[in-house]
Amino acid sequence: MAPELRVVGKPLPRVDAYGKVTGKTVYAADFTLPGMLFGKVLRGTEPHARIVRIDARRALTLPGVRAVISAADVADVRYGGALKDETVFAREKVRYVGQPVAAVAAATSEAAEAALAAIDVVYDPLPAVFDVEGALAPGAPLVHEAWETYSAIPILYREGNICNRARILAGDVERGLAEADRVFEHRFTTRMVHQGYTEPRAAVAAWDSAGQVTVWSNTQLPFEVQNTLAEILQLPPSRIRILVPGIGGGFGGKLRVGVEHFAALLARKTGRPVRVITTSEEELTAAYPRQGTIVELKTGVTRDGRLTGKQGRIFFDTGAFAGSGPGVASVATLILAGPYCIPNLHLEGYAVYTNKTNCGSFRAPSGPQANFAVESQMDIIADALGMDPLDLRLRNIVREGDEGPTGQLLTGVGLEECLRRAADAIGWNDRRPGPSRGKGIACGWWTTTGGSSGVYVKINPDGTVALNTGAAEIGTGALTGAAQVLAEQLSVELSDINLVSADTYSTPFDFGAQGSRTAFSVGNACRAAAADLRRQLFALASRQLGVEPDALELRERHVVAGGKRVSLADLSRLSQQSGGGLIAHGTFIAPPTPYDTKRVEAHVYPAFHSPSFHAHAVDLAVDPETGEVTLHRYVVAQDVGFALNPTYVEGQIEGGVAQGVGQALSEEIVYENGRVVNPNLTDYKMPTTLDLPRIESILVQHPSAVGPYGAKGVGEPPNIEPPAAVANAVAAAIGVRITSLPITAEKIVMALRKETP
Amino acid sequence: MSFEYHEPPSVSEAVALAARFGSEARFLAGGTDLIVQINRGKLAPRHVVSLHRVPGLDTIAVDGHVTLGALVTHRALERSPHFQGRYRGLVEGAQVVGGHQVRNVGTVGGNIVNASPAADVVPVLLALDAAVTCLGPEGERTLPLEEFLVGPGQTQRRPEELLTTVRFPLLGPNSATAFLKAGRRKAMEISVVCVAARMTLDAGLERCREARIALGAVAPTTLRARAAEHVLEGEVPRAELLRRAGALAARACQPISDVRASSQFRRLLVETLVPRVLARCLERIREEGR
Repeated sequence: MAPELRVVGKPLPRVDAYGKVTGKTVYAADFTLPGMLFGKVLRGTEPHARIVRIDARRALTLPGVRAVISAADVADVRYGGALKDETVFAREKVRYVGQPVAAVAAATSEAAEAALAAIDVVYDPLPAVFDVEGALAPGAPLVHEAWETYSAIPILYREGNICNRARILAGDVERGLAEADRVFEHRFTTRMVHQGYTEPRAAVAAWDSAGQVTVWSNTQLPFEVQNTLAEILQLPPSRIRILVPGIGGGFGGKLRVGVEHFAALLARKTGRPVRVITTSEEELTAAYPRQGTIVELKTGVTRDGRLTGKQGRIFFDTGAFAGSGPGVASVATLILAGPYCIPNLHLEGYAVYTNKTNCGSFRAPSGPQANFAVESQMDIIADALGMDPLDLRLRNIVREGDEGPTGQLLTGVGLEECLRRAADAIGWNDRRPGPSRGKGIACGWWTTTGGSSGVYVKINPDGTVALNTGAAEIGTGALTGAAQVLAEQLSVELSDINLVSADTYSTPFDFGAQGSRTAFSVGNACRAAAADLRRQLFALASRQLGVEPDALELRERHVVAGGKRVSLADLSRLSQQSGGGLIAHGTFIAPPTPYDTKRVEAHVYPAFHSPSFHAHAVDLAVDPETGEVTLHRYVVAQDVGFALNPTYVEGQIEGGVAQGVGQALSEEIVYENGRVVNPNLTDYKMPTTLDLPRIESILVQHPSAVGPYGAKGVGEPPNIEPPAAVANAVAAAIGVRITSLPITAEKIVMALRKETP
Repeated sequence: MSFEYHEPPSVSEAVALAARFGSEARFLAGGTDLIVQINRGKLAPRHVVSLHRVPGLDTIAVDGHVTLGALVTHRALERSPHFQGRYRGLVEGAQVVGGHQVRNVGTVGGNIVNASPAADVVPVLLALDAAVTCLGPEGERTLPLEEFLVGPGQTQRRPEELLTTVRFPLLGPNSATAFLKAGRRKAMEISVVCVAARMTLDAGLERCREARIALGAVAPTTLRARAAEHVLEGEVPRAELLRRAGALAARACQPISDVRASSQFRRLLVETLVPRVLARCLERIREEGR
């Protein structure tokens, strides 16, 4: 019989709670150093233009201004992820409105603003491409005319404005569609949306006399930023130290270098510490938002609702640089397949350059856009076949032991339970409970991203435990989950764990707070470290108690053998006197997920590790005259494998839904001719508490074979299904299908008027 | 940005400062519009004249009239016991201005002089036949709110004048007000369209004696829909008639298309919301009559 769990699986308060609720936690934006200057970035004002001249002479004469830098002042390097196409400042030309052209450091923020206004830049406008269709049109201007010279990972398929085309090819899609009784073709569109983190991107940089730069940054990936800065500054990574204080949210928007490079470059130029913080306008015009997309689906189905084949294409408007685009376009193909058994697939994901801001990663990158299309179409198909949408899904979903779209073996599949429990909870048998009221359901799957994690775990002489991790706590509670694993394994309490995190100088490597992986990977690294410490503790205790190590166990902060016991504190002191203290290095890397390599092309992410499954159900009302949508109930049944801390798993679900409802109903960054027309939080509409019902979470637990205690990644998934679930409920309520996000009141009213003249 | 900051202790000294600096000065009340505009670089006053030390401007007086001091906050309107009955529309307008923090400091006077066509309290005040009083070096003048509003951000106020009070007549029996707003979300929202109405019925609660309909965010200023008002007066306000009033109101407005909504949608919202806001007035009158 497995021992009863004391710490994991319990709804304990998070380790960082006290500092955050009392306002004591220092965030990057709070960080101040003596003599610190304020940095600001001058941003391009043309979507596509040759830079004729940058003249900063007037700016440099202004009071308080210490430095102005532009492309001429930095090494001519291109950096990036899968594709290195970015530069710190625009060189020769600007490619989007908002692209950094120069940066200034001044004694005050106001002086820096004044300096920006005094820099004269002369542009010679060039023809630009404003959307995917324009970028792919024959003879379209190239966003990067020298795209072929850029370095990239070799598997990418690139051509002109296409910076990757990833494919899944399975079976024979022609045959699959020919076998179908009905073939459904639809097109869906989604708009660019921002992560909406509370704290803007912020960094403070300071150089020391030895030529090392320290950067306090609210990044999710300190080790990636360290490497990127090494490229930009042309220094070995060891000369760059990244520390992450508190982060006011990230959601994928703080993965890549944001303002750290400006702070570091300005600090080097001035010899003073420099802080750079973005404004709301910069966030909404020049950050790393979620790509707008066009999705085309052609799906074959038999009369009795069996999916026979699917042809699909999703085009990501990735903006002026590739950013996360090539990877996101790859992941998207797995979402286009859906959590369904479809024998014949031809799925393509395109990342396309346009003259807009560089899109990036946003909580389950590609998930919401592709799932919106897939799950909207499932409902359309069900309606056309006269089937219940739930039944159509149950007929086609993946189950234990099925194959994923690229041939991976699926295990721990809790999807059927998710669908049935979400449907039961929402009262699915009464799908249209009143006039203009309807219920919708949507389901999906997602990955638990790999990448390695290391932790150092030390047992202190008072018996408490120090957990030193390179991962950053970005507000998800993930490191509390990992600490719970450690506490469980070492027989201590969660309050005994002290956390040190995210300092590239002293903490072990971690792949970073991304891809729903932190509690999963750091938790597993903690398990490994705990196993090592048990060996060390038992070796010491064995001598101390005169008992064979095999007979020992850990219980309530002690090593115990029958009636004999010795405390962890005593053993730690003993080790300090004799053996340099109790410390262990635990590591984890998710094992590779085998897949059929012949089924993919130019694919950066061919299989989902320890996949999670989920179903969302919503009950809403539409005012047919004003188009106003009111959500009455929202239910999520998510297969989390095992909930390390149910409270924070539910918190992730609630936040993910709120953010997803934003994309579903109200949020969009609106571009007109290459310029954002709503670059402020007045007109970029994130939902408020009044826009959301209480979100009901059902934690389904089909354990993963790899995760700690069977846990799967939980952070990203709840953001995937809201647009589809809401779209399906709106269609159920009013009988009209909206195929573009956001589903605004205006779209609803106009669609209804078109339907009933 | 930099400016000289003044804290005059009286209305007369505030006006004297404004007279001295003319258009280089701005009055600071709640600051929820002024500071935002300064921060966005849209306004750069050389002098900011704070009204915080000026006594008496934050009172709500109810005698033969209702008189609101310019510094009465939206929160004070929401909470005032005077406005929970017939004046309910005023509370409904005030309670959807921005968020709690904005309503705690933003003022009625500021909302009026900011002259946003989307202001939420202004249509209710128009429906209440409000008049505003301005004090300048040459003395006081009072003019109807409708005349006071000239265009987006523009009023009849001269730079050296301070808007001191807003005043409207008491509502008699068989009267009610209501306010409705449409936006993309349910709070923290700038109106895509807002409508306010006041209705007074005859003693038998049958015919409409007097109607006022005001529309926000559909023209350069908040405006009255007079044709819609006229069609109601003297008639039995049946649902069909309310819809006609809605259609007339929609015809009266001249909305623009912008990132928030198209002009066509705004017009449709007016057509929908006007009958609803009138129906709400009728419900309230009948409830009070019971």
